[in-house]
Amino acid sequence: MIEVKNLIKVFEGRGKPVRAVDDVSTRVRKGEVVVIIGPSGSGKSTFLRCLNGLEAFDDGQVIIDGVDLGDSKTNINTVRREVGMVFQHFNLFPHKTVLENVTLAQRVVRKRKPAEADEKAMKLLTKVGIAEKAHEYPSRLSGGQQQRVAIARALAMDPKVMLFDEPTSALDPEMVGEVLDVMQQLAREGMTMAVVTHEMGFAREVAHRVMFMDAGKVLEDAPPTQFFAAPKEPRAQTFLKQVL
Amino acid sequence: MPLKRRPIQWPWQALLAVILLGMAAGLWVATKRVNYEWRWERVPQYFAYQAEEPQTSPVAGKVSSISPDGRYSRVEIAPESGGQAVAVAVETDTLKVKAGDPVAAGDDIGAERHWKIGPLTWGLWVTIWISFLSGFFGLIIGLITGLCRLSPNPALRGLAVLYIELIRGTPLLVQIFIFYFFIGTVLDLDRIVAGVGALALFVGAYTAEIIRAGIQSIAKGQTEAARSLGMTATETMLHIVLPQALKRVLPPLAGQFISLIKDSSLVSVIAITDLTKSGREIITSSFATFEIWFTVALLYLLVTSLLSQLLFWLERRFARSD
Repeated sequence: MIEVKNLIKVFEGRGKPVRAVDDVSTRVRKGEVVVIIGPSGSGKSTFLRCLNGLEAFDDGQVIIDGVDLGDSKTNINTVRREVGMVFQHFNLFPHKTVLENVTLAQRVVRKRKPAEADEKAMKLLTKVGIAEKAHEYPSRLSGGQQQRVAIARALAMDPKVMLFDEPTSALDPEMVGEVLDVMQQLAREGMTMAVVTHEMGFAREVAHRVMFMDAGKVLEDAPPTQFFAAPKEPRAQTFLKQVL
Repeated sequence: MPLKRRPIQWPWQALLAVILLGMAAGLWVATKRVNYEWRWERVPQYFAYQAEEPQTSPVAGKVSSISPDGRYSRVEIAPESGGQAVAVAVETDTLKVKAGDPVAAGDDIGAERHWKIGPLTWGLWVTIWISFLSGFFGLIIGLITGLCRLSPNPALRGLAVLYIELIRGTPLLVQIFIFYFFIGTVLDLDRIVAGVGALALFVGAYTAEIIRAGIQSIAKGQTEAARSLGMTATETMLHIVLPQALKRVLPPLAGQFISLIKDSSLVSVIAITDLTKSGREIITSSFATFEIWFTVALLYLLVTSLLSQLLFWLERRFARSD
């Protein structure tokens, strides 16, 4: 579903350029849940953002469902329809109600009829457990509720892949669970997911594979049982010692 | 324990009243010293007045009868040549003939009055629609220029910067002269078109900067969320960024449009009879210089405060989603 070959992303900072993603190659199969962990600044968010072209990469290849993102003939907008993304800070549209947040892209991008979009939106809002807030504005919702709306908004496009960029990092501790539950349910339903997170419990229970990144490189890529029980890399060992 | 105290207000309110009264007294003394005679009663006729239209006899003959009918009187004239009597209606207090008077064709019999709009009202109207038109076009120009200013295309960006700098760096009065005498002559423009054009270009440059700042103030995450859903850059701008940016820049935009109403007084230099020019013309005939300028100022104040109320109301309506 996702194929990454020798991906390189360089940030031109002051002084010397920083290789945020340094020669990463990987492959995510259909229905697979990959969790990417690593210390902050290790390039995991940048890597994730390269997968839907929010970050333009310098070299390498990203192929989503057979479409090469780097190809000049590729329309990035049609690829993004198939790749849902959930952000750390939710990024709901504050001037639209919850329902409008979920229907807007359906109408504008997928050209669905308003009634059809509304129906789809209500179904998804019910699924993430927030249908009763459909006509509220996002500012009236808690962080956990906003993030669930953001997930519904991404799902409304019927994506083939979902990317999660630290979806619970900006939440109060008591709201983390409700968002993780929704993500877990998605995983059970067979959604292909790439998740950047600090929630080791989620990684352990839901992930099929855990990727450990540091300084732009993937240092370890293993099933969670193996990774958490016996990490091979010394840096992964130190990291796990600090977070667990 | 520090308690929250209500500060005492009334001495300061009293002081404010004393200052305001003092200013009013000063104004009164000042006008006494220059021996100015206030003639406020001359002002209302410049808003609206009753014009008298003389009514004349259509035929030569004799007034056969005058019958009062409310405010009007019906004057019947029997023609010299015989035949049917001709009736003319005039206002009773303007009657110039008595029953039995001989009249020639074209003689005044009396007059009919009707209300006419005075020059102050006309001037106010011209000021309002000139401001409205130039505000409307200015907003469109500002929107387009603001977007060009943020465009990745160097040509568009360069043009936008050049336009904004040219307009902001020169006085509006000079721009109006250039627009009227140079561009107006070259393109053969009407003075109204030249006036509205100059004002619209002027307000457009300032609006562009306001809108640019508004767009830049919208968090990057909004664009990223919209783009990640597959929206194009244009769709993102239209549905996500612009609505939020416009809501945010409403207060500075309001200030800009209130300035525009006041700045529109400058078009009187190219002989557009707006409120200011009407005032100047009235003074040459009424000699009520102080009264007319105060009235003109009050009328501008009336229009600008109505506009600011309207925009305040809009602002509250848009605040619904906060």
